[in-house]
Amino acid sequence: MKLAYYPGCSLKGTSFEYEVSLLKILETLNIEVKEIPDWNCCGASAAHSINHNLSVALPARNLAIAENGGYESVLAPCAACSNRLKSADYELKTDDILKKKITDSLEMPYKAEMSINNMLEFLIGVVGKDKIKSMVKKPLSGLKVASYYGCLLVRPPKIMKFDDPENPVTMDELVALTGAEPVDYSFKTECCGAINSLSKPDVVMALTGNILYDIKKHGADLVVVACPLCHSNLDVRQREIERKYDEKLGLPVLFITELLGLSFGITPKDLAIDGHMVAADRVLKKIEGLPNQQ
Amino acid sequence: MKTVINEQNRRNFAAQVEAMLHDKLAKCYQCGKCSAGCPVNFEMDYTPNQIIKMTELGMEDKVLNSKTIWLCVSCNTCSTRCPKGFEVTGIMDVLREIAEKKGIVSKVEKEVQMFHEVFLDNVKSNGRIFELELVGKYKLKTRHLFRDMFLAPKMLEKGKLKMHGEKIADLNQIAKIFKDFE
Repeated sequence: MKLAYYPGCSLKGTSFEYEVSLLKILETLNIEVKEIPDWNCCGASAAHSINHNLSVALPARNLAIAENGGYESVLAPCAACSNRLKSADYELKTDDILKKKITDSLEMPYKAEMSINNMLEFLIGVVGKDKIKSMVKKPLSGLKVASYYGCLLVRPPKIMKFDDPENPVTMDELVALTGAEPVDYSFKTECCGAINSLSKPDVVMALTGNILYDIKKHGADLVVVACPLCHSNLDVRQREIERKYDEKLGLPVLFITELLGLSFGITPKDLAIDGHMVAADRVLKKIEGLPNQQ
Repeated sequence: MKTVINEQNRRNFAAQVEAMLHDKLAKCYQCGKCSAGCPVNFEMDYTPNQIIKMTELGMEDKVLNSKTIWLCVSCNTCSTRCPKGFEVTGIMDVLREIAEKKGIVSKVEKEVQMFHEVFLDNVKSNGRIFELELVGKYKLKTRHLFRDMFLAPKMLEKGKLKMHGEKIADLNQIAKIFKDFE
């Protein structure tokens, strides 16, 4: 199967760690993906917030390029990108008038026959649990890991069609495969404040603080995510949250691809774990026999 | 509270929203579940269920100038939980789009609105987001030059802030998309 890869803007910028670790584990798993040629921004939350048609047309260009290039499946590791690609695909399947306008504008046909996968769907559905399990060389036993899903991987359920929108478990299952212990807590799908990080930082810190303090209360050593924006709010804003609420957190936030990579025996440096704002060294020392701490 | 001003205006506004939303306002029976689960309800001036009812009553000015429509982060918790399957998240998109097209600048939440506008401008000129340029232009526009600046040195050190953005090759097609749909 030809697999297309849609990195999105964050993975080429503030969340470069996500792309580095993703490509590293795909290399280890011997799975080849091809970046969609000349892909453009999906429009993210900004487009659907103020212009519906643009929010369908921008992702449609990427989808049409991939489909006309003979790809059957698209991997969009960013939760927001996968959400926008799936939403556009849904609109193109259900709104014939808009579809005609868009395909006419793009001068490309679109049949809407590809499967669009977020990171977790790709790992469970395309790679498969058995293959992942067989690659685990350094079980992360003794490590307690909280999976934070946020909004866009699971909602709206009629379009995402992925896991349970209130209590998803896919990422927890992946955590268990690495040998780490999944930690249950209450804020798995509560919103971190997302795109309002720059425009409403106080609101975002209140929401993200709720999530992080609940994770801390349940005894997790670290958090895993599959969304660059969640990562940015939980990691980059963490020191500020500690100062605002005057209580230490010290919770490293890793991408799920980094946690898997560690269990495959890849060094933290090769997974770009040193690119995070909250240092993970102290927590990673808990893992026995982990190669090359930095 | 002043409610219906003119029956024809009320109908026009409600019909415009319903047409863009592909959903019926009358579906909502005001149970308030959307508002109970909304993560940003504490900052809103009207709860989501109030916005739905006010739209149905034709209170166009109040709805389009509300803080609520800009504070909504589209987390979709409301639509997911709505017992009637009403597009609660969708109505916020529709109302923002109407406000934007009418040139209404939010008095209280203009920064959220500006962020969306600066973001789309960035997509229009590069095809992709160049984060440093996006943040710079947003800061100039909102004049919050120093807010969050303390994060910059460490983000630079970690390699999170790229100094150069990427432009896509076929910018003409992006220009055409904006021309046809903006």
